Amino acid sequence: MDDGPENASANALETLPGDLMMWVLIVSELLVFGAGLAAFLSVRITDPSGFSLAQARLSPTAAGINTIVLITSGFLAARALNLRLLAQRSAARWHLVAAIGLGAIFMALKIDEYMEKAGEGISTETHPFFTFYYLLTGFHAAHVLAGMVILALVAWKDDPGDMEAGTAFWHMVDLVWVLLFPVIYLLG
Amino acid sequence: MIRDATTRAWVMLMMLSAASVMVALTDGAGFGASSAGAVILLFAWMKARVILARYLGLWQAPGWLSGFNWVLGLYCLLLLGLFLAPGLVR
Repeated sequence: MDDGPENASANALETLPGDLMMWVLIVSELLVFGAGLAAFLSVRITDPSGFSLAQARLSPTAAGINTIVLITSGFLAARALNLRLLAQRSAARWHLVAAIGLGAIFMALKIDEYMEKAGEGISTETHPFFTFYYLLTGFHAAHVLAGMVILALVAWKDDPGDMEAGTAFWHMVDLVWVLLFPVIYLLG
Repeated sequence: MIRDATTRAWVMLMMLSAASVMVALTDGAGFGASSAGAVILLFAWMKARVILARYLGLWQAPGWLSGFNWVLGLYCLLLLGLFLAPGLVR
């Protein structure tokens, strides 16, 4: 009686873990960054050797270290939520503080990378590669910064639902990075 | 053997990330840039799957997980096609 198509889609949405609006945000962000990365590789078709020379100015090892920092931060955020659901509030908060700390290390390494590039006279105007590089990694870094603030808020006001939404935002930042990192730093 | 699924996911992500950098640095161990690119994008897709399943909790919703996996897999194929395109149009 209540198994019509509308109820079926409502039930499907109910199976999503966490807040539906957080999933809307995750999909939106994936679409924005996904379009950016596809545009980056599309422009590369016109000048593959120029893109390759520009990419050689980046350090894949340093970016790999930053990837490990961000992934570990995501791991600590995931553990924080598990601990909060087990009512271990203090441990959950400390895990979030550590996750924020690793986020700060990610940002410090990213700023160091930008300063190094600026010191070499590389700007958004140098080559289309660097226009996309600054745009995509800079937009991602802004999300890392926002994520750190969100994690601090859910560590302070540690309602389980809010913490689930906050850590989901952090995992979205992680998810975007694991797609962005190989395309910008490794594919050459 | 790691029992905790969250920790297992983290170890998997670390291994895939390190392997991606190794493949890039060795240019696919002599197999060429095209093969290296395919492997790097395969690893990226695998990492995205792990984050979606274990960190974002989609293991609890297999239908959604499968949907996300398919779309991301097709997207990585699109990226691979764009990456390989300069060699094809030459």
